[in-house]
Amino acid sequence: MSRVGRFVEKVLRQRRIRRARIDPGSDAELRTAILLRSARLGAGSVREEFVTSLHQRLGAELAADPAPPVPVTRRRRFVQLTATAAASIGIGAGLDHVLTSAASPAATPPADNQTGGPPLSPDHGAWLAVATSSELREGGVLRFDLGAVSGFLRRTNGQVAAVSGSCTHLGCQLNLDAQARQLDCPCHGASFSVTGAVLRHRLPIKLGPLPVIAVREADGKVEVFVPRGTGP
Amino acid sequence: MYPNWEAIYRDNVGWVYGLLFSKVGSRPDAEDLTTEVFLAALRPLRVSATVREVRSYLMATARTVLADHWRRTLGRELTTLDDELFDPALPERDISRDRSAEADRILSDLPENYRTILRLRFLDGLTLKEAAAEMSVTVGNAKVLQHRALRAAAKVAERIGV
Repeated sequence: MSRVGRFVEKVLRQRRIRRARIDPGSDAELRTAILLRSARLGAGSVREEFVTSLHQRLGAELAADPAPPVPVTRRRRFVQLTATAAASIGIGAGLDHVLTSAASPAATPPADNQTGGPPLSPDHGAWLAVATSSELREGGVLRFDLGAVSGFLRRTNGQVAAVSGSCTHLGCQLNLDAQARQLDCPCHGASFSVTGAVLRHRLPIKLGPLPVIAVREADGKVEVFVPRGTGP
Repeated sequence: MYPNWEAIYRDNVGWVYGLLFSKVGSRPDAEDLTTEVFLAALRPLRVSATVREVRSYLMATARTVLADHWRRTLGRELTTLDDELFDPALPERDISRDRSAEADRILSDLPENYRTILRLRFLDGLTLKEAAAEMSVTVGNAKVLQHRALRAAAKVAERIGV
């Protein structure tokens, strides 16, 4: 099949268009294929599953906000975090700007010596219980899902921590491989450690680590700090 | 003004997707690009921005994201988003209906067999095999017919300026 033919088949079968060398002389044909395909009844309607998954992805980015505007010391008493991924959350990390234009860079010391990102927490958020303390056993990893925000809790040396459960590529929900202690993306095959670090991927982009989500234990419950309005 | 980022998202995700879909023609690509638009745009957006400002900003972001997509894949901008035709008051203007009028216009200028193969494959979603059976021709013939029909359709599209 010709390159033009392959491009047209991809449009017809609704596949991703990959890098291709196609003579510009065929551009009118490619454009016509796109036009005809998008003229199909209902073709331009967005899938509800996609709307939900992107919503979760954006919520996760929001939850991992690096710029808490309230006095940090007060909050830090409650928040136990490892800031593995905090230093380089990358795109979308400043979603709080949606909520307040007065955000300023956090001037907090690193949460541990190893990595050095500021603690992460949304401006306008609430602590929501996602598990009981006894459910999250030493060395365990547990998934939680609050609709707009989902992620994975873990307990190491008694301390609880959490990372976002959405792949930093396009927001697909990660699956836990408990044995390998890693989080796998079903969409493009990226893998993250349970601490959020990128293990491997074959994407043509630089993939960011998973944002860290603030988590605490109170009254025998494990709670995560999520944007206001988030809930099942 | 929008009350929060979720309202911005809910109100605008539909038209951003629809617009991008009409420019790339493929659902997974349109979804990837919509994701890129919201990830890139929500950061600098303020909730104090007006609805109009938010939509214009999303449109500008979508235009850049689409341009990057084509540069990455084909090395040139196969399709572009034109903000001159964009109305922030009515972003959800029925994109697929505009498109179906354009498609009808193109198809009506083509010979019967060209029109039929393109309709069966692009609008009705039949496979090549199904389309061949429907037209009582071999798969090979249907393939050649589709190729020629698309070429003829592209000439019509250029002539009528769609």
